[in-house]
Amino acid sequence: MVTANWRTINIDLLDPESSANFPVSSLLPTLPQVSASEVQTLSGQIRQLLRGGDTEGALRGALENAPYGGDVGAKEIHLATVSEILQSIKASDMSPLLSRIYNSENGPETLDVLMKYLYKGMAHSSPPSNPSSKMLTPQTTGFSQIHSRGGGEGGGQAMSVLLSWHEKLVEIAGAGSIVRVMTDRRTV
Amino acid sequence: MVSPEVHHLFHHPIADHSFSADRQTLAVARDNQVELYGRSGGKFILQDELKGHDKTVTSVDIALTTGQIVTCSQDRNAYVWEPSPTGWKPTLVLLRINRAATFVRWSPSEKKFAVGSGARIIAVCYFEEENDWWVSKHLKKPIRSTITTLSWHPNSVLLAAGSTDAHARVFSSFIKGVDERPESSVWGERLPFNTVCGEYLNNSSGWIHSVAFSPSGNALAFAAHDSSVTVVYPSGPEQPPLAVVSLSTQLLPFLSLIWNGESEIIAAGYDCEAYRLRGSEQGWQIVGSMESKGRPGLGEMREESALNMFRQMDLKGKGARDDTVLKTVHQNTVTTVRVYEGVAGGVRKFSSSGVDGRVVIWTT
Repeated sequence: MVTANWRTINIDLLDPESSANFPVSSLLPTLPQVSASEVQTLSGQIRQLLRGGDTEGALRGALENAPYGGDVGAKEIHLATVSEILQSIKASDMSPLLSRIYNSENGPETLDVLMKYLYKGMAHSSPPSNPSSKMLTPQTTGFSQIHSRGGGEGGGQAMSVLLSWHEKLVEIAGAGSIVRVMTDRRTV
Repeated sequence: MVSPEVHHLFHHPIADHSFSADRQTLAVARDNQVELYGRSGGKFILQDELKGHDKTVTSVDIALTTGQIVTCSQDRNAYVWEPSPTGWKPTLVLLRINRAATFVRWSPSEKKFAVGSGARIIAVCYFEEENDWWVSKHLKKPIRSTITTLSWHPNSVLLAAGSTDAHARVFSSFIKGVDERPESSVWGERLPFNTVCGEYLNNSSGWIHSVAFSPSGNALAFAAHDSSVTVVYPSGPEQPPLAVVSLSTQLLPFLSLIWNGESEIIAAGYDCEAYRLRGSEQGWQIVGSMESKGRPGLGEMREESALNMFRQMDLKGKGARDDTVLKTVHQNTVTTVRVYEGVAGGVRKFSSSGVDGRVVIWTT
């Protein structure tokens, strides 16, 4: 004899008309699939630009080719690339650079992508391999990639870079940019 | 610039407001009831209350020629209120929905009205003479989520709807025996009930707060929660649109928008003020705010002297700068913008209401 707890049955799933049985993704435009290796190649090209001193070109390149359709791994690689670019730009160059991008074609959209990466960067927690720093400063968070690459660079510093970018970006792109990060289903 | 006419009715959110044709009566949705205000001199005085809904009233609309008032509420009902010698007489409308009714508007012909709901249904309602009853027909497909807003085309057949599934859609709500056969337009030629004449989504796919047909009905604008305004210019039935212009703003999202002529839109929302947008098929821009900044009589604009500052600190224990008052006329989110006085080819005055309990009449 089967006894079921009727109250725990999700009745919405039994109704074919219910929105619970409806994949939301089918309403949205399909995003092109991007593989991790493609993102890796792209990040190589962008680092090339960065080494050549073309920080604006590197940032634009990285933001205009955000791997919306990529898997978690691909997105991680691209986040590392973007944060590397952001760290290599001097604080005094941020505002002029952002206004140049904003006033170019598709500029507002490019800056919305940047805002997405800022929030993603801030959401990124400290790597579990580094528990001591987490114990000391539980509120600071950084990127796993930066930790391994940057050689002892603290998560707090990465965060302060993101926060100063955020401040400059809001001055130029406005609160609308933040709202779009929350609204947009194309995540980075 | 003429300063706006501000009516602070109460300290409570206004879900929706509507003026009668002579602009002497103002209907305001407040909590579970609709309050009717009459103009006397420069003020609006509470005259009557329409009680009948037992949940929050979400929308109210006064028909301009017949004077009938339609209301809808989260209690899943809609009422049509008619004036009678003994007061306003409500008639229940059979909506047949199992979720809250969210938005209601009379068609320009005033023979029909449409009710949006959380049941993924738009109920198009019309009066059936034989039964002496308002009945409804459902627009269902392909709506996937709550309808937040509706707008009628001037021909009273086409209906635009915005939804939380991020789509703005244009439907035919043609009802045999009620509507005259519409002339063919850019939206389509033959339009049986529930024909989907257009379905639009913007890039970041925020849910839709407001839709509006342009005065000619040949363009459709919608505001979404991604702080954008998108304007669609259709080219003809079954064809890709001539242009879809999307403007991402630096502001917080707009909740309501109206057209002023074919090349201007007035929109307001979470920024507590109305903005003017201008454009065409080539592109749209924000021109500026409708507020005249630095209006005399606003306390916080006053030059602060050191003496005054110290006096304030002494009296109130804080600095002179009192930042509890916004510099805008509305002190909270604007939820509804409506045409108050139209002229040929545009709007001379429009009204706005919001969470702060104010109804403001603006001159464009």
